[in-house]
Amino acid sequence: MPIIISERTAKRGEKDAKRHRDKQRELIKKQLPRIISEESIITRKHGKTVKVPIKLLDIPKFKHGSAKKGGAGIGQGEGSPGDIIGRQRGKGKGPGGKKAGNEPGVDYIETEIDMEEILEMMFEDLGLPRLDEKTVKMLVVELGLRLHGTTRSGPEALLNAGKTAQEGMQRFWHLLRELERQTGKSERVCYVALKQAKGIFGDARTLVNSGTIDEAEAEKIAVKAFVIMHPDDMRYHKQEEKITEQSQAVVFAMRDVSYSMNDEKKYLSRSLLYWLVNFLQHIYKEVVILFLAHHTTARFVTEEEFFYTGESGGTLCYSPYELAGGRIDAEFSPSQWNIYTWHFTDGDDFDPARTVREVKKICEKGISMAGYGEVRTEGDNTVSELMNAFSKELGLVKQIEDNLHTFESRDAGYPFLGIIIRQRKDILPALKAFLKQERWTS
Amino acid sequence: MTQDELRRLIRIEERVHELADEYGLMTTKIDFEVCPARRILEAMSYHFPTNFSHWTFGRDFEKNRTFYEHTGTGIPYEQVWNFERPRALLVDTNPLPLNAMIIAHVYGHVDFFLASSFLKRGRSFSNVAEEARYAAERFRKYEAQYGQTAVEQTMDAALSIQWHQPLDVFLEEPDEEDARQALIAREKMKLASLEKNIRLNNKERAQETECVIRRLKRLEDITPPEPVYDILKYINRQSTRLKPFQQDIVSVLRNQARALAPNMLTKMLNEGWATYWHLRIIRKLTEEGLITSSEHGVWTTFHAKVTQRNKLHLNVYHLGPAIFEYAEHCWDTGRFGREYEDCTDPIERAHWDTGANKGKEKIFSMRESYSDRMAIEEFATDEFIRGNELYIYREGEDQRTGDRIAVIMEKNPGIIRRYLLMYFSYYGIPSIAVVDGNYQDKRIMLLKHDDHGMQLDETYIEGTLRHIHYLWGYPVYLDSIIDDKTHRYSFDGKRYSVD
Repeated sequence: MPIIISERTAKRGEKDAKRHRDKQRELIKKQLPRIISEESIITRKHGKTVKVPIKLLDIPKFKHGSAKKGGAGIGQGEGSPGDIIGRQRGKGKGPGGKKAGNEPGVDYIETEIDMEEILEMMFEDLGLPRLDEKTVKMLVVELGLRLHGTTRSGPEALLNAGKTAQEGMQRFWHLLRELERQTGKSERVCYVALKQAKGIFGDARTLVNSGTIDEAEAEKIAVKAFVIMHPDDMRYHKQEEKITEQSQAVVFAMRDVSYSMNDEKKYLSRSLLYWLVNFLQHIYKEVVILFLAHHTTARFVTEEEFFYTGESGGTLCYSPYELAGGRIDAEFSPSQWNIYTWHFTDGDDFDPARTVREVKKICEKGISMAGYGEVRTEGDNTVSELMNAFSKELGLVKQIEDNLHTFESRDAGYPFLGIIIRQRKDILPALKAFLKQERWTS
Repeated sequence: MTQDELRRLIRIEERVHELADEYGLMTTKIDFEVCPARRILEAMSYHFPTNFSHWTFGRDFEKNRTFYEHTGTGIPYEQVWNFERPRALLVDTNPLPLNAMIIAHVYGHVDFFLASSFLKRGRSFSNVAEEARYAAERFRKYEAQYGQTAVEQTMDAALSIQWHQPLDVFLEEPDEEDARQALIAREKMKLASLEKNIRLNNKERAQETECVIRRLKRLEDITPPEPVYDILKYINRQSTRLKPFQQDIVSVLRNQARALAPNMLTKMLNEGWATYWHLRIIRKLTEEGLITSSEHGVWTTFHAKVTQRNKLHLNVYHLGPAIFEYAEHCWDTGRFGREYEDCTDPIERAHWDTGANKGKEKIFSMRESYSDRMAIEEFATDEFIRGNELYIYREGEDQRTGDRIAVIMEKNPGIIRRYLLMYFSYYGIPSIAVVDGNYQDKRIMLLKHDDHGMQLDETYIEGTLRHIHYLWGYPVYLDSIIDDKTHRYSFDGKRYSVD
């Protein structure tokens, strides 16, 4: 019969498809600095996925054609020269305004990525932010499920085949010995009976007792143990929730919304805070984040307000620290909480001396980190007077990490970290610097 | 598939076999394998029943599967292998009329396999399928031993130039030493004839002789002695960098492309022939009541979808049968030969019919000896191109909206014919040869692109050179003419540059 039913099932397709996705992922990772600075992500209102143009991987080959003159092809249908026969919305340009296809061997496709996935990818590089082990209030971090040990019941997907087979094998030997004992026949005869009875003990005993086994023949057959399955022998992987305990944290996210913060500066600070907040919410089930907007005065605002409003006025940078300080005294004892302040401003401060004093004060309360991000888009290499004042008064050391200028206090013992952010591609390195795990533990 | 359907399908298969015999198609025993959709999707992506692992196959598989699962249109259609005993797949969840059509279609392919001189050549490589199975096994071991990265990079590199093969699918390029000796022998004959040439004076003779001697000397050293198009084979023989496992990978990938090349050269005719015949066979089966009229309706919808014209691609399931039908019509009505070609009266031409009735004979001989290009050369007439509404379009950007658009550019049959010829020549692979494997005495590989009026897309040159460099281990240069100027593209392991 020439028509046969296929028995083969292979899984290679999935495996290789996964490899392709992994390679795509590597590529996305490389593009992260660009992707996370996309305006569409920050301005998006609480969607779960983000649209990002990424490359569909292909192997480069010598091809005919001219990139300059644009692709051409042959098709069929009605129409005359000049007629438009196909249109793809807004796909003329690739990411970054570059003409798609400028890079070798790639096509751009627009694909959707989960926010979660982007965060995961960023994590792979970042590690967790430093949170001191404070003793009193612990918070629970869920890390998903893990398999640990075995159990006698469970869903089929968790069947532990190895353990189950082991049990089944033991059953075989038990039954064989029992059969020998009950019938008094040799091991080989019992074995043949057990095999013919497909492991059912009662049937095997009947076979031996009824004398239907050719004993002479049976003696020539070597015993080869086989697995006899019984529901009692099923063993399953045990699932446990994997939990670690972490101390709790409170973060004061502070943003300068004054007049001197132009759109790009606002954007940079919003973007950085957006990711910092997302990170914390992603890792910790419970983390208190308080939002402060300030110009000459500071006030607590909602998350929504914090990210989407713009105001104007002059700047007094001490104001949010003062406000946060009061809140710390009232609610967040540093012995029980890890306290972070993350402040973003252009440093255009009317009273730097007072700001330094307030920062010193807040540091002395025993907070874990005072993060200060200075957004300077002027295109020069200078820093603000405020930054200079910090440097002097807090005894900061200037360093270059990932092409970023950072200011960090070592000897004076203030947990202060200042970072200068000049352009969008600084966002990812700045995040890394803020979240670097072992900044002050060494 | 129900038992009842399976029984009917077996009956249909028997009848299709008989009909194929009656229609004069060559037949043999074919194994049809009823399988789930995923199996055929996998077969479509991996080229062979079992093949090695590679991410490009996985990518295609996922693309095909997504298309199938989410659009409902990408029904896995047909997969048949040109083996000693041909094997084809039928999807168990496809409706019966569809599977009946596929059986008929496969009989068309099998006749083509047996008759076409190109496909016979392909069958001479039929051990590649077996080789692919063993290779899959070996490559897995290589991965375990030498790491996924090394294995994958070698495959990526080899796949990148896999289709750069000898221009003639029927011939293997001679081994380097054989080629060298043949060339040396030729030069020596020249030398001998120079001595006997009485028309030359002594000075001329001395000059010519010196030239030949120089060439002879050079021939002893140069590798390759003449341009080599089989780039992978050359690399495999000459590279001092490739480890044995890499040589194995390169040779497997090269052989697969070699075996599949005849299929690529006849893709349009092969699909055209199979479609031409399934149409006729299904009609016959419906007449005979093996397929009910409602099933025939289902089939018609599907057939229409498969043979639909595409605005942005050539659909070989449309163009293929169209060219056979056109050829048949021409030769039935005597529209060939001097008299017809010289006739300029359009009315006379439109009514031309000598009652030659040679259509069937012609298309049977076409399927025996034609490649796609040959069929286009003969039958892509002005009339055919206009009748099938072919055009050339260009992709660009809508200045107003920033959208990516395709615009019809050209409907002139002469220009379209030239484009088609290019499209079907060597399935669009640019012809590039190794002209020197020890350029400047530094083991640099010098490649040259033959300019046939089509220039290379510069976008892909760097990536490809990088891949060749990975295998070759020394700098790789490519000379090619872009916009009437010869450029040298080079990659030395660190830097890519263009002169």
